[in-house]
Amino acid sequence: MSAESRSELMVETVRLRKTYGSVVAIEGLSVQIPRAAVGLLGANGAGKSTLIKLLLGLQSPVSGDASVLGFNVRTEPLRMREHVGYMPESDSLPLDVTAADFVGHMAEISGLPARAARLRAAETLYQCGVDEERYRLLREFSTGMKQRVKLAQAIVHDPDLVFLDEPTNGMDPSGRDDMLKLISRIHRDLGITVILSSHLLEDVEHVCDYVVMLEQGRLAMNGPLTSLVQGEGDVVVQVDGEVERFILALEQKGLDVRRRGADLVLAYHDDTVFDTVRDVSIDTDVLLRGLHRDTRTLEDVYLQRMGEQPADEGADVHAD
Amino acid sequence: MSTPIDQTRRTGELSNQPEAEIYDRGYRHYDGPREGRRHAILALVVYSIKRGLGIKKRWTAKIIPILIYGFAFFPVIIIVGIRAFAGNLAANLNYLTLYSSLALIMVVFAAATAPEMLCDDRRQHVLPLYFSRALSKGDYLLAKIGGLGFLMGTVALLPAVFLFLGSTFLATSPVSYFFDHVADLLRILAVGTLLALFFASIGLLIASFTERKSIAAAVYIGAVLLISGFADALFHAIHADWHRYFALADLLAVADGLTAWIFGKKLTGGSVAATASLAGPWYLVSVAVVVIASAAVMYRQYLREE
Repeated sequence: MSAESRSELMVETVRLRKTYGSVVAIEGLSVQIPRAAVGLLGANGAGKSTLIKLLLGLQSPVSGDASVLGFNVRTEPLRMREHVGYMPESDSLPLDVTAADFVGHMAEISGLPARAARLRAAETLYQCGVDEERYRLLREFSTGMKQRVKLAQAIVHDPDLVFLDEPTNGMDPSGRDDMLKLISRIHRDLGITVILSSHLLEDVEHVCDYVVMLEQGRLAMNGPLTSLVQGEGDVVVQVDGEVERFILALEQKGLDVRRRGADLVLAYHDDTVFDTVRDVSIDTDVLLRGLHRDTRTLEDVYLQRMGEQPADEGADVHAD
Repeated sequence: MSTPIDQTRRTGELSNQPEAEIYDRGYRHYDGPREGRRHAILALVVYSIKRGLGIKKRWTAKIIPILIYGFAFFPVIIIVGIRAFAGNLAANLNYLTLYSSLALIMVVFAAATAPEMLCDDRRQHVLPLYFSRALSKGDYLLAKIGGLGFLMGTVALLPAVFLFLGSTFLATSPVSYFFDHVADLLRILAVGTLLALFFASIGLLIASFTERKSIAAAVYIGAVLLISGFADALFHAIHADWHRYFALADLLAVADGLTAWIFGKKLTGGSVAATASLAGPWYLVSVAVVVIASAAVMYRQYLREE
């Protein structure tokens, strides 16, 4: 049975819990993740890497259950791993081997015959931007090139799903852009589903169309990126005329009005806010020049979420 | 000079030979065969053997394997050479003599190669890449034991086979010698396999506890010398009858005792194994206990979450 036909859900966890001694890494995590380019977002220590290791079966949960591509990670780990690839966060390459030999070896470990493995290694390294350099020892590679090799070994056996744990770690801005473009291409052009773990909001925004946000091992929020960044965006109003009178009238109607330059910003609750603005503009004889939903970034979503939490949480998440 | 197109125009026929080939270097999905876990384990065995021999590594990595194989074949070349030129003078040189020197070489080989099998994968954090594939931790260890066992087997078997062939060709009647002594080949296989597993399992056990190859090698040599020395000291110091069983803790005495038992020879001289005069199966039990216990501890060590 193919991985595709087993489940429409890519990942499903039920009350997953993982502890290291007295430290709780994942707490009661229940989430269903559809097939998409998924961004696993959270501060350092939020449990992203632990969740990936649990999903790969590299670590065992204390309690709860999880399935990946329809395979139970406890009872069918080997069958599940035939269909997935993994790019770990830390350095994980042997240094005294050439890139071609190592990626070819990893393809063989994934079951490809020797000749096919060598061909696939060359092709995949080329796709990942490692061409002639593939005959050099990995100890001679820069951080960016090593990341590319790590990505190549993760997809050399043509998996259905690839876990990428902080793939842009330690890369310079230009290398980071290249890596993000590469990951986007893997998903959009090559059709390999991606779960990208990152503490960089921009990385996730760049690549993913579904977001799972973790906080201290718990699910903070999850959903399609478009709905997260747009669905709850503020309402921006532009008016000409007696603005103060207009604001007062809106506030009397129970709306919270903020100024942002020449614009007025209202919190969106539901579509009735538009009717209220229209009615107030007529009542106060103020000319309504513009009325639209504000598009939020993932950073806005994250900051809003953090605003609901104690101030010190999420301090490590960068929105660069 | 006519091109294929000219020829086609001239003859009016389409050539079967392609005029040009287009290579699509775009990513393609793999729809070829996937050969499963057995293939993966075998691939890891071959990869480990290559690394153990220093193949596709710097020339310095090849020095120790070359020296080991040189020293492994050196005694047998001496034995066969003495037989060829001195005849009866070399009557006491036999498989027991050979394995006595090979055991020491195997200790050194295991000390150098076992860390090569395991330590780099741990130190360079390669294990998550293996274990995120359809390869269990047991499969990984099996492949590593297989890889080191194969290398140790070549040291334990090939010189002895060379001695057998040398003895056969130097015999007055090579054909009758071969058929009279063909059982020796089975004995060589048995001793070689058991000693390879014995020394390999101890080496891998020690290597599974550290990421540093030099530390693993030093601990291995140190452990063999210290444990054997301690066992020898107790063996000689205690005069009760049960002191004989300390021979089972002397790794080199185990190799001697096992070889003598399988080849049906009696050990002579003042060595620990010769003095202990233990029944052969005791040495087999000692080898089995060491191999099984090492594998169990190693597996438990690798079951720890990375």
